[in-house]
Formats: sequence, C-alpha cells, structure tokens
Amino acid sequence: MKKFCLITLAIAILFSFAGPVAAADTIKVGVPLAMTGPYTDTGDNYWKGIKMAIDEINASGGLLGKQLETVRFDTQEFAPERVMQGADYLVGNRKVDSVHAGWAGWGQDVRAYGKYTAPFFADDGSQAAVDVFRENPEEYSNIFQLTDTDINQATSMFNVLMALPHEYPNKKVVIINADDSWGMGVGDTLEENFRNEGWDVALREVVPYGTREWRSVMTRIRRIQPAIIHVEIVSAQEVITFFRQFMQRPTNSILSYGYSIVPREVVQTMGKEADGLIGQVPTAMPTPIAPTPEAQAWVERFVELWKHQPQAGSWAAYSGVKAWATAVEAVGDEKDHKAVTDYISTHGYKGETGWWKWDEDNVMRGGGDVPFGHYQVQDGELVTIFTDPPVKPYMDFKFITPRWFK
Amino acid sequence: MMNMNWKSMSAFMAVIFGVMAIMPLFVGGSDHLMHILIMCLIWAIVASCWDLIMGFAGIFSFGQVAFFVIGAYASAIFSIQFGINPVAAMFLAGMVAAACGILVGLPCLRLKGAYIALVTFAVHMILEPFLKSGMGRAIGTGGSQGIMTIPPMELFGIVFSADNKIAVFYAALLLAVVCSIIIMLVIRSFWGTAFLAIKDSKDFAASLGVSAFRHKLVVFALTSFLTGLAGAFYGHYVGMLSTRMLGIDLFVMLMIMLVIGGIGKFPGAILGAIITVTANEMLAPLGPYRPLILGAMVVVLVLLLPDGIIGLVRRFIPGKNPADSRSPSG
Repeated sequence: MKKFCLITLAIAILFSFAGPVAAADTIKVGVPLAMTGPYTDTGDNYWKGIKMAIDEINASGGLLGKQLETVRFDTQEFAPERVMQGADYLVGNRKVDSVHAGWAGWGQDVRAYGKYTAPFFADDGSQAAVDVFRENPEEYSNIFQLTDTDINQATSMFNVLMALPHEYPNKKVVIINADDSWGMGVGDTLEENFRNEGWDVALREVVPYGTREWRSVMTRIRRIQPAIIHVEIVSAQEVITFFRQFMQRPTNSILSYGYSIVPREVVQTMGKEADGLIGQVPTAMPTPIAPTPEAQAWVERFVELWKHQPQAGSWAAYSGVKAWATAVEAVGDEKDHKAVTDYISTHGYKGETGWWKWDEDNVMRGGGDVPFGHYQVQDGELVTIFTDPPVKPYMDFKFITPRWFK
Repeated sequence: MMNMNWKSMSAFMAVIFGVMAIMPLFVGGSDHLMHILIMCLIWAIVASCWDLIMGFAGIFSFGQVAFFVIGAYASAIFSIQFGINPVAAMFLAGMVAAACGILVGLPCLRLKGAYIALVTFAVHMILEPFLKSGMGRAIGTGGSQGIMTIPPMELFGIVFSADNKIAVFYAALLLAVVCSIIIMLVIRSFWGTAFLAIKDSKDFAASLGVSAFRHKLVVFALTSFLTGLAGAFYGHYVGMLSTRMLGIDLFVMLMIMLVIGGIGKFPGAILGAIITVTANEMLAPLGPYRPLILGAMVVVLVLLLPDGIIGLVRRFIPGKNPADSRSPSG
C-alpha cells in the first residue's frame, strides 16, 4: 500500500511539472492580469474586453479555423519576479502565440516579454515603459502599448481642465496622487503644467493605496478652498471614500479624478451621488453614444454582455486582441510571430472608431480615431464631454457645473 | 518535539540540496520551472534566516523582507551608480543590510516580544515611502518606477542573468548551501546553546556569563547580512527592482514558509520555502482561489502538523538520540 501511494505521488508530481497538453486545433492566448491584490479592479476591466473579443472570434469559427484558448496568469502586485514569471510561464512554458495584458509592470513587462517573439499588448500608459523600449527597439519590436504615456495623458487632463466652460474663482489647485509609477507620473506632469500656467499648487499629497481616511487632507482643502482638486489613485474604495468625505463639507472645487474614474465600482456604487465628477480615459470609446455605427454596435454588445457601460481598458484590450487576430489572418500563420508583429506595426488595425496606428515606439498615441476621452458623471453614468487632442466638445454633451457649487 | 541532531540535519540538507542539484536535468529546458527552482533557493535563505532569528534566537523580528529589499537596492545602486562589480556589490550590500540590522537591533533588542515585532515591522513599513521619496531617488532607487536595468553578475566569463537560468540556479544553490551551513553552524555551536539558555531562563543564562543582548545583536547582524546577500542576488538575477516587493503578499508567503517548515525546526524552513513557492506557482492560474487554497493549507497544516513538515519527517524517521535536542520550543 505504501509503495502504491509513493508511486501515485511521484506520478502526480511528474504530471504537475509536465503541464497540461494543449489540443492541436487551438491557438493559445496568454492573459497576464491582476486577479488578486489592489489592481484587481483594473484587471477585471481588461479581462471583460479580452474575453469579449476571444468569444467573438471563437463564435465566428475561430482564427485560421482554430479556436482560441486563453491561459490566464495572476500578476498580483507586479513584483519584478512575478512579471518575469508571467512571461516565462505563458510564453516560455505554455507556448502562447500572443499575450494580452492591461497594466503589466510599467517597463518591467517590456523586458520580460521582449525576450520572446510572441506579440505582447499592454496598457502601461507609462513613459518608463517607452524608455525601456527605446533601449532596444529591435529586440522589443513585439511589444505594443495600447495607450499613450502618463505624461501625455496628464497633459490632456490639464488641457481639458483649462478648456472647461467654467470660471475658476482662483488659481489654486490641490493634487493628490498614489505613490505608484502611474500616480507619480500624472501628479508630476500636472504639477508642472499648473505651475507653468501660473497656478499655485497649494497642496501636493502622495498617498499609498489603501488610504481611506481623508479627514486631515479635507481640513487642509477646506482651508485652501482650491478651484481644482485632482485625485489620481485608481482604486474604487479610495476614491469613493474621498468623495464622500469631501461631500460632508464641499468646497467650490472642480473634482477631477483623472483615470481614477475608471473602476466600474465608482459609478456602480455611487450612481447619481457621483454626478459632477470628471475623469479621463485614454484609448477611449466615447459613450453613451459612440462616434460611429460600428462603435455603437460594439457598445451595445458590451452592455448586453456585461450589463454596464464599457470601462477604460475594456475596449483597448478588446482592440489589442482584434488587431492581433487581423494580423494573423493576413499572415496566415499564428506561429510566425515576426511576420505578425511586422504586419501590426506597418498596417495597423481598422477598429470600430477608425484606424489604430502605432508609432515608432509601438505606442498607440492619443488622437485621430482613438482619442483621449474626458468624461463627467451625469445621471449616474459616465458621459463623454470632450475628446483630445485637439480638445473639442464631444457631440452635444455638455459639462454641467457640479451640484456642490454654492 | 525535539530538534534534529547534527548528523540528521546535515543528511536532511544534503538530501534536499542533492535533489535540487539534479532538477535541471529534468526541467532545465523550461525557463518557467527553472525560475521556480531559483526562487525556492532564494526564499530558502530568507526563510532560514528568519527561522534562526525568530525560531531559535526568540526575537520576534518582522523586518526580514525589509533587509532583503535593502540588500537588493544597495547592490543595484553600488553597481549602477558606482560601477562596482556586481559580485563585490553583493557583499557590500550584505554589509549595508547588516549595518541596518545592527541599527535596528540596538534599540529593538532592549524591547520585549511584541514590541520588537512592532518596531521591525515599522522598518518594513517606512522602507517603501523612503525608497519612493526624493531622498530615495537622490541615491538612485528610481522612486516609484524602481530600477529597470541592473547588471547581472559575471564570473569566469559566465553571465548570471535571467537569460541563463541554469547558471543562475547553480549560483543560487551554492549561495543557499553556504548560507544554510552557516546557519546550521550557528545553531549547533555555543551560540545555539546560548539562545536555548536565554530562552529557558534569561537570568540564569546571564549568571553564566551569557549576554542576551550581545548574542542577539550578533545574530541580528548575521541574518541581516545573509538576507541582504540573498536580496542582492535576486536583484542582479531579475535585473529589475521595484517597491512592489514590499507588498504584503511576499511577507505572508514567507510566514507560510516558516509555518510549513516548522518554526525553530531548521532545516524545515528550506523545505517550507520549496513547498510554498512551488504551491504558489502551481496555484497561480487559479487567480483568486490561490490565496484561499494557500490559507486553507496553512490552517490544516497548523492543526495537523504543529511542528511543520519537520514534525512529519520525524514521525517517519525518528531521531537516534532524543536527548540531543536544541529546539527552543522544547
């Protein structure tokens, strides 16, 4: 009996190391996203877009006649060895033919996935990631960024804040940002822009994820009475608690949440209570009415599937999958990674709003058919009020002065 | 539950490291599995150091991850900012971690139990803001972005980078063996006896001339040095560093390693690290169920095997000399 148990155990261990055997008629797609930890909210947004694209491709007969099979990996908090392990597991071990991520390591991912050839799509929105890419564009040619950098996004936020049809009572701003790479990038860029325009950055506060007690910050805000408060911490609980504590004694300030507006829980939890908040989304699908019939059809499919308006990242991640699938169809071989990568770089991809063209750094810059979207919560839902660049009002949607203004 | 005698401990370590040494024959072609093996060895060093300080010396230090990160950053900064050879930078980083260990230990070791835990955990907590601060950026930590390019170690023409995992694996194995032998020597030496005496009766130990403060401070410095060395090795291997290493996930994982291995049951911590890292990686595709399963595993193990995996080993391979016991937990 003992021998039997030992043999069974040995076989089980051997099998666990061997890894699952894939069916020959599938194409494996790697999906490294945060499934646990503080980045789960954003990871979920990306997953909805990726799953939607893959299900659509499979439902229409697959890619080159083969079904797509997702292989997921939990990137947790993006510790360096987790990012590297994700690449080694998905591409090295599971032999996926493309990788679709969201936030993926802000530069660490470029190194980790750049040593392989499978196309890799990330939504880092990070100048640091671009800097790593520029160190060796040839080696990292399989890396594609789905959104513009933090610097350009923050500049867009600033431009729209300056373009709002609103008369600021003073030139004082409070900037509160998370202490991660994204938060610091946005906070620093905004601070520089405001100072250059002669504004007084009366308070700059850097906070860690998990901050839910804002009363000491509120005391200072009420003393300052700023015209603008910008909060950049992409996690629902933090920004919801901020808003609720702000609303106990609101100041006459525009409350700008930047990219922090994106976790679905923000509008889902607060509904109309959040009316008046403004925020920004790169690689944006403007809603509630999309700019083209194809885009509107996409929005409707998304809403039918997930029962809510698309969030930031969902459409970007969806488009990444579709861009790769289009290239594979054109090349005719999902294993010819170099040809697929070259196809994406040179041809781009025609999506629901128009053309996606990656620049020489393989970054999807904001503008053209894929602009930055600037939103306001109106009637409990995100409404596009501006697109940028150039800054222009979106359709007939108007900025509404927040209800807390006296 | 008694602890292992010298021979059992050596034999146990020889078996573990011997099995590890031949693993590349089976999985050498997979970067993914080689990475798991390398991380097993790196965390085995850190968990063993933590076991020495907490399980044997009885110091409730929660600063082990912090010393690991200090070592990693220090070595990266030495090699990038000052152009020091990465191998030399690693040892310098170990010294920096040891110095930090002494600095923390000096006030800490005058405290008792939970207060030591609080102070050392505070070091862990303040390290992240420091590394991200302007002061951190000024010394080359890279702030929130971290350090993106750390040169790999190079010896005798062999580059120990993430692209050469077999070489890194054997370097990590050598480091783990050396650190484990040092830890074993400490446990089985006069120091181990001194710790046992201090734990049993501090006053009686003092009457025999055993200075609790001095002994604990030295072990604090030693474990900080070895942990810093492991951190430095990690940095040069992965080639990137960020403060995300200070997340609660890694801290909890290290605790699980100790619980599985058995606290104060060296070399159980080595086995605990191997089991925990492997289980964590194998469960990674399960996403949110991973921490759930790991948590359940710890609860079951604590209930069924309060002495960790070493307790189980002892059930099957009883010691020949039960009197030769130096377990702090008796």
